[in-house]
Amino acid sequence: MPQSPSATIPLRKFGRADAEVSALGFGGHHLGEAPDEKTAVEMVHRAIDGGITFFDNCWEYRRGKTEIWMGAGLKGRRDKVFLMTKTCPHGRDAELALSMLDESLRRLQTDHLDLWQVHGMAFDNDPELFIRPHGAAEALEKAKKDGKVRFVGFTGHHSAKVHLNMLQTGFPFDAVQMPLNAFDANFKSFEKQVLPELNKRGIATLGMKPLNGHGEAIKNGVVTAEEALRYAMSLPVATTITGMDSLEVLHQNLQIAQNFKPFEESEMQELRDRCKQDAADGRYELYKLSLKFDNPEARLAHDFPLDTQQSEVKDMLGAQQNTGHPFPEKQF
Amino acid sequence: MALQQNTASQRDVSGVVPRKPLGRTGIQVSAMGLGGYHLGSAETDREANEIVAKAIDHGINFFDNAWEYHDGLSEERLGKALKGKRDQVVVMTKVCTHGREKKTAMRMLEESLRRLQTDHLDIWQIHEVVYENDPELIFAQNGAAEALLAAQQQGKVRFIGFTGHKDPEIHLKMLSHNFPFDTIQMPLNCCDATFRSFETQVLPEANRRGIAALGMKSLGGSGELVKFGALTAEEGLRYAMSLPVATTISGIDSMQVLDQNLRVAVEFQPFDASQMQRLREQCRLSAADGHLELFKMTSKYDGKVGREQHHFPTVEQLPL
Repeated sequence: MPQSPSATIPLRKFGRADAEVSALGFGGHHLGEAPDEKTAVEMVHRAIDGGITFFDNCWEYRRGKTEIWMGAGLKGRRDKVFLMTKTCPHGRDAELALSMLDESLRRLQTDHLDLWQVHGMAFDNDPELFIRPHGAAEALEKAKKDGKVRFVGFTGHHSAKVHLNMLQTGFPFDAVQMPLNAFDANFKSFEKQVLPELNKRGIATLGMKPLNGHGEAIKNGVVTAEEALRYAMSLPVATTITGMDSLEVLHQNLQIAQNFKPFEESEMQELRDRCKQDAADGRYELYKLSLKFDNPEARLAHDFPLDTQQSEVKDMLGAQQNTGHPFPEKQF
Repeated sequence: MALQQNTASQRDVSGVVPRKPLGRTGIQVSAMGLGGYHLGSAETDREANEIVAKAIDHGINFFDNAWEYHDGLSEERLGKALKGKRDQVVVMTKVCTHGREKKTAMRMLEESLRRLQTDHLDIWQIHEVVYENDPELIFAQNGAAEALLAAQQQGKVRFIGFTGHKDPEIHLKMLSHNFPFDTIQMPLNCCDATFRSFETQVLPEANRRGIAALGMKSLGGSGELVKFGALTAEEGLRYAMSLPVATTISGIDSMQVLDQNLRVAVEFQPFDASQMQRLREQCRLSAADGHLELFKMTSKYDGKVGREQHHFPTVEQLPL
């Protein structure tokens, strides 16, 4: 797949901070679905060559594999990118969050992150657990002060209310990540409820799930991949993070991003209207609805019951490698 | 649900359930109402009859139902059981247009009246307002809202309302139309108080407008609050009944459950503010992910007819 050497992806301001990121971001979770490390490394190289600077990851993705593969891909190229990963205390102490940071830095083969976020704010009591004494908020402050991270933020896909309550804690976030797509615009909407608030506060917005998580609406022919990506990228966000699990998908996304022209407002509205009927019961956004889409690691940390028939739970309980301590000591 | 731990369950019930005003309607209803869905789940017609008779003997006068419950069986059973007693009770049923037009609603009304063996309803509510686009469909031209007014004008229903179990925002969207609703039904229980809360978001608004609040799902829909040990059935019922509502609708599918619920209702003393707060605190942590209120979280409690009418896949087709 030939690539024009002059191809680039537009850069955008990272909120009120003195930094810029590519309008399309490279999602870390799907990198673990690449056939092998060699392919993953090649994907990272090609993404950088194609103009992507924003790289997403998370301490708990694939029990560390995606951070390790991304770290290998970024070797010698670290200064060309804006690197983000997430910490996964899920309500537990700052100390645990900081130990995860050191592990992430080691896996990613770097001495600092551009952005470090608290992963997966989902439950109604998450904001309260975050801001409590010894909570994760203290870890974000300390990591920034120690120079290990430049910016801090949080992520979540479950509830716009929980996001707003995180902002209500008064913590000075630099970035916030959330699902943004044409279905979201019609259903328990982050676009309507959270996005304007972030822009008002000068916080960088990181959109995710532009294809609804696993491209369900594209498979069913409601929207095309290009329409979906363009919709998300046309919103007032710093970047749109999308998962790529193969060189083909990477190539397709690079093409869309390199040729990106924002939709007009009338085109945006047409897409929202087209998705409205299918959006209304939330089945295209199960991450906002179903307990089965909860992260089992987070449920465990919160002492919520686990459904042991669920595949993610089985994976977690049966994991032999990269067991992502400290989770797993809990016996069932 | 059956309350095994209640040691007093062998003792027979005496006394009557207290009454409360139904919003600004001028009528009084029992602080506990009999849920219609579970009447269709009772083992026999005879048991359903006995449940209704004994409930009336103990002062229950509020009877809930819906056109679609058990394909009409719930309404038929209630109709038979109320024979000769119709004027002692407040009969509510619900219309199930799920976005369809007025004419469908009026046809359902005739069917409900026939099954319930009556010429009028005391309350007629729009059933299961749970999808994001429901308010829009209901208030569209020729929609269900127009049917409510027409039925009222024809003298076939006295009061009108709506119900839903999913999302306080959708209830508030319905209220934002300033339609003359007399009643509004919603889930109210101790977990709801701290999770996507109808109690904090919708109930004060209903009271401010003088709309009678009808509570439901006091134990989580299928007794989840009790099964998972958040509180006892008695605490759960008393919590719901202590809120500023006209009635708490409770599903009762056997004489045993009726006796247990009647006992709580006839001896009902409202919790005071500090007791209410203590229970909320007790339930708060387990409430925070919604596993005790699956009706807000999943499609498990969404009706089949409603999903069909919205052209949504069935619950079985969803990975929930």
